[in-house]
Amino acid sequence: MRLNRRQTLGLMGAAAASTLAAPAIAQNKKIVVGALRFTSHSGSFIAVERGYFAEAGLDVELKFFQAAQPMAVAIASGDVDYAVTAVSGGLISLADKGAIKVIGGALSEEKGIDGQKILASDAAFKGGLTAPANLGGKTFGMSTAGSSFHYMGSKVAQAEGVEMSFKPLQKVGAIIGALKSGQIDAWSIVPHIAKPLAGSGAVHIIGDISDYLPGYQVTTVFTSAKNAADEREQTQDFLAGFGKGVSDYNSTMIDKADGDDGVNEMVDLIHKYVYTDRPREKAAPSIINGTMRINEGSKLNIASIRDQLEWFQSEDLVGKDITMDTLVDGSYVETYEG
Amino acid sequence: MDIRLDAISHHYGATEVLRNISLDIPAGEIVCLVGPSGCGKSTLLRFIGGLERPESGRVLQLGTPPEGSLNPLTFVFQDFALLPWRTVKGNISLVLEDHGIRGARAKAIIDDVLNRTRLADFADALPKQLSGGMKQRVAIARALAVNPAVMLMDEPLSALDAQTRELLLDDLVSLWTRQPFTAVYVTHNLAEAVRLGHTIVVLSRRPGRIREIVSIETPIDQRRAGDPVCQQKHDLLWELMREEARAADEELIDG
Amino acid sequence: MADAEGVKHRQGDSPIEVRFRGGGFAPRSRRWVGVAVFVVLIALIQWGTETGWISALTLPKPTDVLATFGQLWESGLLFKHLQPSLTRLVIGAALGASTGIAIGVLIGLFSYVRAGLVPLVAAIFPIPKIALLPLFVIWFGIDEGSKYALIAFGTFTPTVVATYGAVDNVDRSLIRMGQSFGLSWSSIVRKIVLPGAMPGILSGLRISLAIAIILLVAAEMLGAEYGIGAYILEAGSLYDLERLFAGVVILSLLGVLVSAIIGLIERRLLGWRI
Ligand SMILES: Nc1ncnc2c1ncn2[C@@H]1O[C@H](COP(=O)(O)OP(=O)(O)OP(=O)(O)O)[C@@H](O)[C@H]1O
Ligand SMILES: [Mg+2]
Repeated sequence: MRLNRRQTLGLMGAAAASTLAAPAIAQNKKIVVGALRFTSHSGSFIAVERGYFAEAGLDVELKFFQAAQPMAVAIASGDVDYAVTAVSGGLISLADKGAIKVIGGALSEEKGIDGQKILASDAAFKGGLTAPANLGGKTFGMSTAGSSFHYMGSKVAQAEGVEMSFKPLQKVGAIIGALKSGQIDAWSIVPHIAKPLAGSGAVHIIGDISDYLPGYQVTTVFTSAKNAADEREQTQDFLAGFGKGVSDYNSTMIDKADGDDGVNEMVDLIHKYVYTDRPREKAAPSIINGTMRINEGSKLNIASIRDQLEWFQSEDLVGKDITMDTLVDGSYVETYEG
Repeated sequence: MDIRLDAISHHYGATEVLRNISLDIPAGEIVCLVGPSGCGKSTLLRFIGGLERPESGRVLQLGTPPEGSLNPLTFVFQDFALLPWRTVKGNISLVLEDHGIRGARAKAIIDDVLNRTRLADFADALPKQLSGGMKQRVAIARALAVNPAVMLMDEPLSALDAQTRELLLDDLVSLWTRQPFTAVYVTHNLAEAVRLGHTIVVLSRRPGRIREIVSIETPIDQRRAGDPVCQQKHDLLWELMREEARAADEELIDG
Repeated sequence: MADAEGVKHRQGDSPIEVRFRGGGFAPRSRRWVGVAVFVVLIALIQWGTETGWISALTLPKPTDVLATFGQLWESGLLFKHLQPSLTRLVIGAALGASTGIAIGVLIGLFSYVRAGLVPLVAAIFPIPKIALLPLFVIWFGIDEGSKYALIAFGTFTPTVVATYGAVDNVDRSLIRMGQSFGLSWSSIVRKIVLPGAMPGILSGLRISLAIAIILLVAAEMLGAEYGIGAYILEAGSLYDLERLFAGVVILSLLGVLVSAIIGLIERRLLGWRI
């Protein structure tokens, strides 16, 4: 393995730490966890707030990012230890460079649970784009080439046997603007963004991603290759703390195990991190709407990851010689072929 | 065509520059203006040329300019004011183009004035390729091209070295003898004034007034260095100038 | 003097040659130094990436960048990316520079225009034009219109400032001369002011066109499938350093090309300068 200066220093630090030969649990080890201010990152927020990371012997500092892309780069540079993000060309590329590894799953499409929606602009809808089958010749919004939007759009088009052109617009905000003003025809996005947009009448929901990509592993837990290889104990501790947070989230928000009081309490907790610029009463519906089941025990749908890797390779977005082993370290969590 | 200055006075802000200047400039004669630095000679010349207006008093043309004069009142500047991006020929045609003179007619005029200023070989040269003296000859050729009634020359030779200045003085003398022209010639150099001027007007220090008008009867083409009449006029002018210059100098120190 | 010399000689001092101290401060053409700097730098990076002293995450191998370039060329993708970018660059910069020169000349010539527009230009100069891109998309559409507008807007302001500065710097004595020969206003503008301002306008264009190239990447952030900027952005989001550097090298070459073209124009138009 080749190392840059930062990685070398990190290794030296790790070596020094391991000579102490004390279990991680007693050390109150400092780690940095990257997060976006989305409800889908609630697992980390809950684990911090309820002390699950502390119980696991980790002193977690949350570091917030505006987008997934810089978060992946921060993991590669060693500034962040663990994070959750969608599989993208950039992520695979960084894995190929020996910088990062996917170690678990977070969000996935599941039968019976509201998943990502396919949207059409009002103009395109009125022009007959009422079902994904009519996407031929349309423009589809995406942040950048090789993003998860690109993957989803492509897979839908492939399944419908049509050709679309993809418009890179960098930011989700820009895509929404372009869709509302009819500059692009279609897009796909998580339901808590899709539904309010459709409610305003500016766009229309014309389909579900889960019909095309059942079991789609949308986001994954990932870390630096160094952590995955040399910090097994710490990584397991992180996954343990994170898993408890996820469990709390699923049982409270989806299974309503603690009733409405439980939901309200959870909304309060999440509101400390998400929609902080809005008052509680305005944030609550968005937080509740955005509820999605996060994988228990960070289970990872390895088949979906494989499909994504192969698609990125077929589009020549990443190297053809990249293997699943380069991208995924499956030794931490239960994997399945969904 | 004669020029008459009628009681010209002028201020720049609070500074009084010229006070009550009245003067006749007869056709076919060279009038030299001398005076201490800052007394308003250039200002007066700009009034005559119509580039600025005096506060009070008038500049009058007596009679009509000669037939075919494109630009009756024509300047020759101290810094030549040639367009560096045009050739010698182009600089002269510049002042003809606006009068609709192009092609063969323009070429005839340009050839003529270049011959008169001994520049025929340099028609296609750019100003950067010329010496200072040649540049000023181009400027004179350009002035001649518009067939002026009166040439207004503001220290045309003072940017040149002594030898070049001598040669150009000779050129001006021979130009005038071949075809007399009217000129107002501003200078600091009394030798130039004595060499060229039919009359020499001495201005006082600022505010400029007419201190003395000295005439020299000797024909221009017969004036030689060491000529007793010229020498005497030179000394007279020098006395007048010295007083003014000294007074001006002391004023500057005081003020 | 002679005596003093003699005295010194008698004391036995041998004559010393005067020390030369007039060197330096005179730029001379040393083209090969620039090439050498490039070669050494690239060789160093090649060696570093080869030995692993520089990680694959830090810099790509120069030979890999070259190979990527070769693939771009062979697959014809290079021209697929270059053609739209050059079109955007040429149209955007032509729009921006020509209106910039026109407005700059008007500011230079008319006091009312100056009083009205100089504060406005000063106000829009520091706006990062990239920030206005979403607005341009709404005004001019997501396709070529917004890209032309961004590049045009970005080249406009520096051109205006350079142009009116250049007009201000035209030798007043030449304008006086024009007036003294009774030249018409339009003749003075065409034959004296514009040629006199040309050196300043051209050196302003050097800067404006470099800005246009910088803005090309920004312009292609929104809705561009092909283009050098889109290519670079895509490479960045894929963390594909070889493509990223290949794209950056193309931009650099574009910059060198533009600078060479302006140099050529300068040599043709400004041969009269000393
Ligand atoms: N445009 C102007 N605005 C204000 N003051 C001026 C202007 N032009 C000239 N002056 C002032 O008027 C006075 C006369 O200037 P002028 O140039 O006419 O003097 P001059 O006799 O030609 O001097 P010199 O011999 O040095 O050329 C000077 O004090 C000068 O500072
Ligand atoms: Mg003067």
